[in-house]
Amino acid sequence: MMALESEYGVPAVAVHVNVFERIVANVARANGMPKARQAFIPTPIFNQPPAVLRAYVEGDDPVHKRPFMAGVLDSLTRPLDPEDLHGMTWDRSTPRLVEPDTEESLQRLFRENRWTDYLPIVLPTEERVKAMLEGTSRRPDEVVGKMRPTIGTEFWEFTVEKVAVNAVMAGADPSHFPVVLALASTGDTARQSSMSSMGNMVVVNGPIRNEIGMNSGIGALGPYNHANSAIGRAFGLASQNLQGGSVPGVSYGGSQGNNFSYNSCTFAENEEASPWAPYHVQYGFDKDESAVTVFYVWGNVWSEHLRTYWQEKLVAMICGLEPSMGMTLCLDPIVAREFVERGFDTKEKLAEWIHENAKIPARRYFDHIMLTMMRELWEAGIEPWASYRKAPPDELIPMYESDRINVVVVGGQTNGQWSVFMGSPMRMKFRSAPGPTASVDAWR
Amino acid sequence: MSGKLTVMNPVGYPPRVTGKGMAPPLESLEGKTVFLVDIGFENSDNFIRQLHGWMADHRPDVRTEVVRWRDQHQPDPELCERIKAEGDAAIIGVGT
Repeated sequence: MMALESEYGVPAVAVHVNVFERIVANVARANGMPKARQAFIPTPIFNQPPAVLRAYVEGDDPVHKRPFMAGVLDSLTRPLDPEDLHGMTWDRSTPRLVEPDTEESLQRLFRENRWTDYLPIVLPTEERVKAMLEGTSRRPDEVVGKMRPTIGTEFWEFTVEKVAVNAVMAGADPSHFPVVLALASTGDTARQSSMSSMGNMVVVNGPIRNEIGMNSGIGALGPYNHANSAIGRAFGLASQNLQGGSVPGVSYGGSQGNNFSYNSCTFAENEEASPWAPYHVQYGFDKDESAVTVFYVWGNVWSEHLRTYWQEKLVAMICGLEPSMGMTLCLDPIVAREFVERGFDTKEKLAEWIHENAKIPARRYFDHIMLTMMRELWEAGIEPWASYRKAPPDELIPMYESDRINVVVVGGQTNGQWSVFMGSPMRMKFRSAPGPTASVDAWR
Repeated sequence: MSGKLTVMNPVGYPPRVTGKGMAPPLESLEGKTVFLVDIGFENSDNFIRQLHGWMADHRPDVRTEVVRWRDQHQPDPELCERIKAEGDAAIIGVGT
């Protein structure tokens, strides 16, 4: 909308739902057009019938407290101040140091500035940050990458030193630092602003797992290992601070939030007990290389062993999820071997079986908010979505494409536990780096 | 620990904000063409349809045309060029 105004010279008013008033103001300010023409309707708009939408049009703007349409039309003809015709330009800077203070006051300052996850942090003194930097051969001032909370907001840049500051805060050791840097280098954020409350899962592969003592066995997804806990927390703190914040109502819109966000469910794949190729090997790495993968997930469901009706149960569990965004199976090694005994001697064969068997009617496949974000795929004629969109309402459509079905082996073999996570590494427009998996060795 | 500590700032580096000027307002909407742009989020097409109906009912002196933004997360220069060439203003929604 702002491009239409500034680049094409066309007055334009953008309509938003009222819960995003502060997010909209924040984006307008950051784009140098703080008084961009805006109008608001009540929330929700999703899943509302035409009569409700008409009432929104005929009702009041809940933010500006005036009739909605009067405000819209007035904003297109109301005279502007001269500075609005030029926009506002200014520099923003980030000081390297915080004003010296006592530990108690600094803990409070970091909390009040929303630089923490509201748990105590390790204060990033220069000495501690210097020690963290010993964990990499990279220069402190080297730019690692850029990050943002969502598409449409500006990217913020960050250096090795800035990542180290956040790694210290999270309680990480210098030996963990290459993994944290690799995570930051992806441009994936653990503080995505999505109103869907998207969270993350992080999987580490290769020799680094054992070098830093990561847990891939009993309790790997729980709070039972320093590296798992600290790397995941560092990813979260780094994300919210390096991208310029994650503040509910301003730069975070998840309606319920996601408990995964505390440490991004960070663990190592149990490569030693897995009958299959490690996850990173599926994406072009050698098994002797170390790598990390960021998954975007919403939640998971649990089961155990492949019992008599396992196929029926697996399909039912998957078909209860939301389609299209991908899924990830986390299997205890016991269950991985049970799949091998049933003929699935590769992860890819299991993914293909799920693609072929987990299907839902087209009417339900398209009754889903995320698909509005995929509209351009079928409108551009990209398969298989173009064919899916033309399908009759009762035709069965695969829940997920094979390349969006991931399999990771993790667990300590105390039980044949397995979980289906709704979500997958993002391979499209959210990332600032290509590919789902990043090298850790590059950041040693 | 009662002494003062010097610690480092954890925040990344924001880009410089470069001002973007707003387009001059219209003197009047009478006889003008306003594009009603469906941005593509769920139900924004139905909302824009209701807005279109309201304009037809209450502002028949304003010509309106409903169009769709190609991808809500990307620029749509083709549509912007068309709006600039054929229109005088735009109403875009619904941002969520």
